[in-house]
Amino acid sequence: MNRASQGKVSVAGIGLRQYKRGGAPLPEQGILIRAIIDACEDAGFNPADIDGFVSYGDDKNEPVRLMPDLGTKELRWNSQVWGGGGGGIAAAFGQAAAAIISGQANAVIVFRALAQGNSGRMSAAVMRHHLNDHIVGAGLIAPAQICALRAQRMFEYYQVPHSVTEELVKASYYHGSKNPEASSFGKELDIEAYRTGRWVTEPFRLFDCSRENDGAGALLLVSTERARDLKKPPIRLLGVANGASQGWGDLIENDTDYASAGFKPVADRLWEQTGLQPKDIDVVQLYENFSAQGIASLIDHGFCNYENVAEFVKFENLIADGGKLPVNTSGGNFAQGFIHGVGTPIEAVRVLRGESANPVTNAKTCLLAGGPGAPTVSSAIFGVDDR
Amino acid sequence: MKGVGADEPYWLALSAGQLKLPECSACGKAHWPAVWRCGECGSWEQQWTSFELSGTIFSWARTWHEFGASKEFGLPYVSVVVEIDNADGRRLLGTIAGNAESIRIGDRVHGEVISVNIEDENIPALRWYLDGNSSTSKASNSGATL
Ligand SMILES: [Zn+2]
Repeated sequence: MNRASQGKVSVAGIGLRQYKRGGAPLPEQGILIRAIIDACEDAGFNPADIDGFVSYGDDKNEPVRLMPDLGTKELRWNSQVWGGGGGGIAAAFGQAAAAIISGQANAVIVFRALAQGNSGRMSAAVMRHHLNDHIVGAGLIAPAQICALRAQRMFEYYQVPHSVTEELVKASYYHGSKNPEASSFGKELDIEAYRTGRWVTEPFRLFDCSRENDGAGALLLVSTERARDLKKPPIRLLGVANGASQGWGDLIENDTDYASAGFKPVADRLWEQTGLQPKDIDVVQLYENFSAQGIASLIDHGFCNYENVAEFVKFENLIADGGKLPVNTSGGNFAQGFIHGVGTPIEAVRVLRGESANPVTNAKTCLLAGGPGAPTVSSAIFGVDDR
Repeated sequence: MKGVGADEPYWLALSAGQLKLPECSACGKAHWPAVWRCGECGSWEQQWTSFELSGTIFSWARTWHEFGASKEFGLPYVSVVVEIDNADGRRLLGTIAGNAESIRIGDRVHGEVISVNIEDENIPALRWYLDGNSSTSKASNSGATL
């Protein structure tokens, strides 16, 4: 996103419907319609005027099928970010902004919907996107296992201490325990349960893994100018970058910077295009499929490095309010709930509006770091409308 | 089930118990995954050369949860990324024989080709043994040697 485009598009409305895995009261398309209507009501916007849709992660809900329920007058843009995982989540906002800034659409919904009854287990679907004989012949059939291989390299070769994942998980559950919409509401993490949880794939125990929910999330994007006339204050998209650089991708574990989460080139572009630096970020919504990948993402984005990660990733630094860099103020994928990460941009909007269950005083910028470790990854920066 | 890119010669060699990897015939670039066209020089010619089944552990992960992998692996089992000797840093995936409790990154390994049954199809795969650890190498009892 170039300088001229920055801040020109804003999130005007948000909607999130979350249920226990397998517990959605309606089929996937039904809960998606609800989330979109929620986003329109939040913004005070007529759903019939939505003319664009973007999703990611192999979502199954083709936008044209939503038209009768929404009363859509004309569909002008529908696209999806390539990739089976959550790597494309921030890139979806880039596509929506591209559509609006170029005049191809005016009001675009970014969404993700998942109900086990319709789409099966999300982890299995992500993996089907990637399965080949090289990995199944090595017994690798779940994202947890691939991420475990990369995490082990980070812990053992680069000597990142295991304590950092505990700090991150603890902070997520601390926020989740105070968020009435979170799956972990009222329950802080029992540290003994974390430390002695059953092994899933070493080095991951149970609480190092995000557990899937049914649900749908939708965010309404319009031009910032138009958003200023709607119900809620605009939350502007200040920058977005996605992709992969040479030596990273779908390389059957031959990626050059193997223990990373793949964000370094994407993050560099994001900082360069926005003129912002890690120190300018007030709060982070960090997509953590697995604890170690969340850490690798923070490192890739330049908040810390292999040497000082243990000083930086500390519970007291990560919590709202008052931490140096509050992370996952809703509880994140770990503790709020995991609908393929769509809760993370929604929380970015809430925290900047001052609507978070864990408010961050005077937060003006929020980084959304998308699904880490995917062949293509993406990040975005959102900001309040202060100019 | 499927390979990746232009890797059919890899599977043919592996089925015959051999490891072969491709290099660009024009510029010599070591490719993996296999390519049809060399992105470095534009050549469409690849030559496949043989490598020893030996290398070092680049990373590993021990799976305890039943994800539905081939039953032959049992539980737990250790999946590994192995950097192949003299292969320009190219890495291959496989499993390690036994529970390999002592496994560490950098450990030396040697391998063999086994056959793994996946959804009623037998595919060749790599099984690795930690060098200098005979108790581990004898612990292998899953997967038939080709
Ligand atoms: Zn070449």
